[in-house]
Amino acid sequence: MFKIVIICGRQPLTSINMINLLIHHWKEKQRSPFWQKSIALNIILGILCLYLLLNVLALSFFADKIIQETYKGRDVVETFTGLLFYYFSFDLVIRFLFQQLPTLSIQPYLTLPIKKSKLLHYPLIKSGSSFFNIVAILILLPFFIKVVCATHSFPFCFAWIVALFSFIIANNYLNFLLKKYFAKRPLLILLLLAFVGLFIFFDIAKIVSCSSYFSAILIYLANTPFLIIIPVALAALTYYLAYFLLKKNSYVEDKLTDKRRNADSFLFLKRFGEIGDLVHIEIKMILRNKRPKSLLYFSLIFLAYGFMFYKKQNLDNYLLLSFVGVLMTAMFALNHGQFMFAWESSFFDSFMTKKISPYNYVKSKYLFFTVLCLLSFIVSLPYALISYKIGIINVSLLLYNVGVSSFILIFFGTYNSTRIDLGKSQFMNYQGIGATQFLLILPIMGIPVLVYLLFNLFDIPQYSFYVLGILGIIGIAFNKYLLQLVTDQFIKRKYKMAYGFRQK
Amino acid sequence: MIEINDLQKVYGKKVALSINRLNIREKEFVGLVGNNGAGKTTMLSLILDLIEPTKGFVKSKGMMVSESDDWKNYTGSYLNEGFLIPFLTPFEFLEFIGNLHGKNRAEVTNFLKENNSFFTEEVSSKKYNRELSAGNKNKLGILASFLPEPEILILDEPFSNLDPSSQSWLKSKLKKLNEEGVTILISSHDLKHVTEICSRILLLENGTIIKDTNTNTETLVELENYFNV
Repeated sequence: MFKIVIICGRQPLTSINMINLLIHHWKEKQRSPFWQKSIALNIILGILCLYLLLNVLALSFFADKIIQETYKGRDVVETFTGLLFYYFSFDLVIRFLFQQLPTLSIQPYLTLPIKKSKLLHYPLIKSGSSFFNIVAILILLPFFIKVVCATHSFPFCFAWIVALFSFIIANNYLNFLLKKYFAKRPLLILLLLAFVGLFIFFDIAKIVSCSSYFSAILIYLANTPFLIIIPVALAALTYYLAYFLLKKNSYVEDKLTDKRRNADSFLFLKRFGEIGDLVHIEIKMILRNKRPKSLLYFSLIFLAYGFMFYKKQNLDNYLLLSFVGVLMTAMFALNHGQFMFAWESSFFDSFMTKKISPYNYVKSKYLFFTVLCLLSFIVSLPYALISYKIGIINVSLLLYNVGVSSFILIFFGTYNSTRIDLGKSQFMNYQGIGATQFLLILPIMGIPVLVYLLFNLFDIPQYSFYVLGILGIIGIAFNKYLLQLVTDQFIKRKYKMAYGFRQK
Repeated sequence: MIEINDLQKVYGKKVALSINRLNIREKEFVGLVGNNGAGKTTMLSLILDLIEPTKGFVKSKGMMVSESDDWKNYTGSYLNEGFLIPFLTPFEFLEFIGNLHGKNRAEVTNFLKENNSFFTEEVSSKKYNRELSAGNKNKLGILASFLPEPEILILDEPFSNLDPSSQSWLKSKLKKLNEEGVTILISSHDLKHVTEICSRILLLENGTIIKDTNTNTETLVELENYFNV
């Protein structure tokens, strides 16, 4: 009896509700310096999202017309339902890559009188409002109202929409599970992609028509409404699996990996003294932190863009070739270098008080930039097989990047004073990105365009690359002078940078 | 050794620090005390050229700290976590700093051995600095400031987060360094510690030095009286 009273007595304490957590989450977002600093960027992103959603809305609204045109004589609802199979497969892959799970940093709440289950349900429920779910609903609803409701009975409509919503929910939490299990096993991710790809291939090749099975099952479900319990149960199951998974992972523990840390790699850098040490630190920074590492992985993917541009019909478009060439021969360097000194933001004060000469610090940045340029150049070398022209152009653009872009990047890099959190992933991460990035890319891309325009006036655009190459050689020849110039700029800006980097 | 002249740091309208004249002579052991917001860290940051003074200047060995980098050769410092490189292991971090001052790996290992009663985290530790406990971070930062055998040592609240035996180790270590000729400037909230080891005490209030005295038997009582509310 007593126990019950005590439990009842504690009840008010534990009833801090979801709303409170939601408010904290909102404050966390709104008060992050990144949000406050780059409102313009967020507005642009918002407009892009809105545009995308409008497209989805229109697509769904006119889906019946599109289906009638493409698949003449087939039942519209049935075909639409079948196509949703592709959508859900694709949705799962995209979610896996891009959907971030809303995690309120749980630690400060663990010792407060809040039920743990509440803390765990919160991020799960919150993930329901994700962008991907909104897209899914916008794909379903207009078609549902315009076509399904108009042509079918109420029980059918009800079962159809409930079943499909259940699939959306299931996808949402399935992603949660997949992320937890696969995040650290990249090979399995490829396997998963291959698996999904295989199904779609079977479907297209008409070996096993998954989409028509999917459609048939759903139509059957909708015709026997009590069966909708199955998809609903599926959604509930994924939710609870995700819940238990989260629960298992909710202890604040020191997760120390036993992985050997290879401290002695790159020992040859020792020979280069202070500059070698600084480059060594930068390499370790990349290898041991999520953000810089994933940024380089992305760059590797971006390098594949060459296949889109290096086509026969483009080989006389010198403006395009120079644009793509600048990117190809500096993909790693530009992506990594855009943050320049911000990579050191969490220990910038340390660098400023240690016996490191600013000139050497800047020089180490320059050397590392050069190494990354060479790396991008080598990786993109096979494009020269498409045409020898690409090879020649890219050699001169490599010179341009090493001799000109590098100094521009370092110079304007001193204006980037936003702290970077090394531990976060690069996916959809806009921390540290702002007007500086536009400032950077403008001259780097602008100079080749100007040179091209000049030579185009005389109808000899093919020579513009030699000029860019020569500019690069001049830059390399005068590197001491130019490095001193950017070092002076660095010294001028260092207090502002240090101040910005201290703002968490 | 360190000379402060007409130094002022203003944030908006609030004067964070304003020191007319201050001279820290060679081999002095100065303790900086004051409540939160009194300007202790601001003063140390200005001496280390981490923030730009609104007015005035700091000279180290007769050279302006904001114009010459020479002071970095002979100044050891640790203010906060931002002085550690988060993704290195403690040994890699110490080795990096050792290298900057021309020390090789063997010398750094030796240095760690000499001080192993203070920093107990093993040399072969696989932990990164960011994974260390608050106390160990503090210890590592302090050790790193000793490593270059500095002539000037600047530490912000070195005793915070330390266990009692480490505190007493650090006290005798600082005393010993001072006897060997190192000029030391530390800030602390622990009045007993500073009056015990420092030869000169500076009391800051709202950004100004309101008391500048050589330590004697009465200093502790005087300070306690000031801080009692």
